[in-house]
Amino acid sequence: MHPPERAKEFSYRIGWRARGRYPGRHASAQRGLGMEFRGHAPLIAYPDPRRIDLRQTLRDPFDQVWVRIYNQKSSVPVYVVCDLSGSMGFGGKRSKLEVAAQITASAAWSAFRVNDPFGFIGFDDAVREDWMFRSSVKVHGAFDLAERLAVYRPAPVGAGGLRHVHQFLLREKSLVLLVSDFHLPLADLEHNLGSLMRHRVVPLVLWDSAEYRNLPEFGVASVTDCETGARRTLFLRKHFRQRILQAFEERRAMLERLFLRFDMPPLFIEDAFDADALTEYFYQFVAA
Amino acid sequence: MILFTHYWVLLLLPVALLPLLLERTHSRRYAWLALLPKDPLSDLIGLLLKILAVLALLFILLGMAGPHTAAQQVERIGQGAQIILTIDRSASMDEPFSGAMTGRGHAGESKSAAARRIITEFVRQRKNDMFGVVTFSNSAMYVMPLTQSHEAILAAIDAAGGPGLFQTNIGSGLTTALGMFAKTPDSGSRVIVLLSDGAGNLSALTQQKVRDWAERMRVTLYWIVLRQPGGISIFDEHLKLADDQPTPPEIKLHEYFKTFRTEYHAYEADDPQSLAMAIEDINRKEKKPIRYYEQIPGHDYAPHCFAIAAGMIGVLMGIRLLEVRTWH
Repeated sequence: MHPPERAKEFSYRIGWRARGRYPGRHASAQRGLGMEFRGHAPLIAYPDPRRIDLRQTLRDPFDQVWVRIYNQKSSVPVYVVCDLSGSMGFGGKRSKLEVAAQITASAAWSAFRVNDPFGFIGFDDAVREDWMFRSSVKVHGAFDLAERLAVYRPAPVGAGGLRHVHQFLLREKSLVLLVSDFHLPLADLEHNLGSLMRHRVVPLVLWDSAEYRNLPEFGVASVTDCETGARRTLFLRKHFRQRILQAFEERRAMLERLFLRFDMPPLFIEDAFDADALTEYFYQFVAA
Repeated sequence: MILFTHYWVLLLLPVALLPLLLERTHSRRYAWLALLPKDPLSDLIGLLLKILAVLALLFILLGMAGPHTAAQQVERIGQGAQIILTIDRSASMDEPFSGAMTGRGHAGESKSAAARRIITEFVRQRKNDMFGVVTFSNSAMYVMPLTQSHEAILAAIDAAGGPGLFQTNIGSGLTTALGMFAKTPDSGSRVIVLLSDGAGNLSALTQQKVRDWAERMRVTLYWIVLRQPGGISIFDEHLKLADDQPTPPEIKLHEYFKTFRTEYHAYEADDPQSLAMAIEDINRKEKKPIRYYEQIPGHDYAPHCFAIAAGMIGVLMGIRLLEVRTWH
């Protein structure tokens, strides 16, 4: 199987012991055919004669037959939870949803490569059942969904559905790539992030340079909010642009502070998805 | 007090509020406006754009409604006689004055030429008067109704020359002249200057009609008789007529005019000088101050409204030039 055009493979790792029964690539608490020695057990308790430890058996004064026990490597469910609110339709060269589609395809492909089940949950003001891909190791459907996502034009709605997303995730601790621009009030975000604490959330913050860095130099513009439809007239000039830039920097700092409080260091992605940056992220923030 | 020509256009005034309700179509999308810092100048410009659009529409509609102030009537006092020159054009007017033989005046000037010259002078002097011209020989010719255009009157007087017929139908001339007053409001001083060199007989019916009309319209009559050579004088009180001869028509007409209840003055002119003196006398007598109302038209404000609207639209266009075209 070849990766789809959008997909760029990244490697990820998790900082906890997976409990999945299915074999995968992640350190696991599941006993099985692995390389990680965990301890000995009597043959009676763990009847696997292939793994009889002769040396341990001979050393035992009580003539017990001992078996070596190993931990297998397990799979971990990977989710992309994607914000489909109005602001995600914004974008300069490409819309944020196009970048989100890249991330989705890349995550599906990367999960497929390590035999992890992949799932996708889209939400705007509610969790969108039509934008849902049930966790599965058969990821072709996810690639189709990514294609759909790239051309989706969201309605002017908010992102309140995040608070219900946890109901649709597996009970098993999963890796959740939370893709959004996080253009929502911090109080709401804080409240909603709490519901995802059971999982390992990686916030991927999609911002667009046209939002703040690449504003027009000078001029009058009438702008409509993507979500509320509110209108404002902007008189862009040097001073105002600097203040916008400053506001975004403050916002970035506030988001970072908030996410770090939840122990979810965010990754800011601007204009294009860089798989290596995500790989780097996992190496940086997830202990081996 | 502002009045409007088309009041129904004012019903459309609420249309001017449309820019407040309708949003501009060429608006750009932005991810999250709440994140942008407040900017009073931007808000001011946004407000200004709407207000300008509203005002532009408002003034266009007001301009279409045609605002103007009411016409004012200003009372003026002046010499404003309405004078109808009733000029005899019979053939005898082309003859020289009777006094030409006595050595005064221009020997060669005909009566009509002298009359035209002197009347032209008279008309020129009286700038505020309205004049009308009626000529008559065998019947009246309606030459020029009462008008303030002196140019037209002078042209009409000038046209009164030329050969005429051998008849003098004074009755027709007078009724036509009186009829002219009927169409014009009374200025307080109405005058008929009858200039003839003889008289004709008026029928009893015409006499009655002319007297009634003159009275009803309060017309002062001045009769200037240009005497024919050897003609009788209407002022000759010692005139003895042969018993078998009828009373001359001049005397009869003079007697008839004297029966008018309105003012009547007669002059006799033997030569241009005496004609000029007679006219001068009329000029002096008709200097009663009269009151009349002058209509001052209301001021039309529609062009101002359109100019303001054009200004607003100009400013809007200027801001349009500042509009951001590329946002990437």
